Amino acid sequence: MKSLAPLCNLLLMIMVSIWTVLLWDPALLALLLALELGLLAVAGQLGKLAKALFGLFMVAMFFAAIQLPFDVAVATAVASGLKMMVMTVAVLLMLATTRLPSLTAALVRQVRIPYEYAFMFTSALRFMPDFIAESHAVREAQVCRGYVHSKNPLKRIVAYAASVEPMVLRAITRSDTMAMSLELRGFGSVNRTFSQQIAFQTRDYLMVGFLALVTAAVIVCR
Amino acid sequence: MLEITEVSFSYPGQAPALNKVSLTIAAGDFIGLAGRNGSGKTTLTRLMVGLAKPSAGQVILDGKPTRECGPKVMARSIGYVFQNPDRQIFRDTVATEVAYGPEQMEWGEAERRQAVAEALAMTGLTEVAEAYPRGLPRSVRQRIAIASALALRPRLLILDEPTSGQDAVEKNQLMQLLGTLNRQGIGVILVTHDMELLLEHTRRTVVLHRGQKVYDGPTGALFADPARDVTVWGLRVPDAAAIAAKITSLNEPVQSMAELADRLKESLEEKTDEEPGAPL
Repeated sequence: MKSLAPLCNLLLMIMVSIWTVLLWDPALLALLLALELGLLAVAGQLGKLAKALFGLFMVAMFFAAIQLPFDVAVATAVASGLKMMVMTVAVLLMLATTRLPSLTAALVRQVRIPYEYAFMFTSALRFMPDFIAESHAVREAQVCRGYVHSKNPLKRIVAYAASVEPMVLRAITRSDTMAMSLELRGFGSVNRTFSQQIAFQTRDYLMVGFLALVTAAVIVCR
Repeated sequence: MLEITEVSFSYPGQAPALNKVSLTIAAGDFIGLAGRNGSGKTTLTRLMVGLAKPSAGQVILDGKPTRECGPKVMARSIGYVFQNPDRQIFRDTVATEVAYGPEQMEWGEAERRQAVAEALAMTGLTEVAEAYPRGLPRSVRQRIAIASALALRPRLLILDEPTSGQDAVEKNQLMQLLGTLNRQGIGVILVTHDMELLLEHTRRTVVLHRGQKVYDGPTGALFADPARDVTVWGLRVPDAAAIAAKITSLNEPVQSMAELADRLKESLEEKTDEEPGAPL
């Protein structure tokens, strides 16, 4: 997937999300998830993301479990948990295999999205790992002052303030600094250029054809 | 008080960050921890406070292994002050910010108030107790972080680059504060790249290089031996030590420029007393 064009990777993510919305069979959704995990493994990212994927799996299971007391069928509850997981892994797959500057270039030159919006989108994605690292550091700082996870959900929500507030305040400070830095480096120039190679190759056209076929099949089956 | 025996640690998929490091820290020590970036300093301090567990070896506090102790338990004995105070400050007043730790420990109201008052007094923050912490200068916010650690009445304080982002006056004030705390019996471990601070304020220095302890001894002696090239460990010889090393009449290592000036003055006065009228 790293050798695919950024727009092709983006299309793959969108198509997988569409299939996920249309499918309700837990077996098919599980197959889709297995395919995604296989692709992550091929891209050499499965080990790095193992912890995050496990956390995601736990959230998906929780999401499925909370539906059961409301007379939702087990298959439907499992399918909704899987849908959440498949969609999130699709985003992770795209992020793990696409360079963000290339994605920005593709959005601007091929999708014709104004640069400011494309930049905003990719910047938000680019900050996610930083935000996770920051939340980890903030949590550690509070743990050293005696912060512990309470088993009581209400207490836990209140305790989250100790981590969330410093994180949000630091994120605001950081975004201010970044905005200044961007302005000082000429952000907003009218005739900006891109150095990234984003043109479609044969393999990209083949992938788009494959995606179109599967999407059509999914729609017909529905 | 704290004993580290043959401790090793590796981050997943990386070379060992620490390799069989042993260290004994007595109550009331004032230790500098130095070494180039990535040498294992922060990893070692994280092991001390229980933020990470050693892959081999032991961290022993007061004779008891700490493997099963989390940071909450360790925080009662060892306070940790992070480089950036903004990572922890989240409350509306300095006093409530400092009170966070005692609240987490579920101390009673009276004990909590006393601990906060003591911590604020020790760090000279009593006058700003009701101020909004984020509106205060960086040096004061760093003091708030120190007060927050002190509120749990630790016997050892670990500070990771506490002087970063501070001017010379603020650095000096912070080091004076640490000296005062140390004289009150609180041990200090100072992680720093500032060799002048290291030489002037710490009695003992531990140097890590590629995850191994390469020096553990008096700070003055670290820089006084001309045969020892500390630059290979990412350190720089402080100016006072470099000048002192070139003056053979100064037999003992010096700790600061001020001490060097005093001793040079004494030396020159002795010389002129011995040979009146001789040129200096």
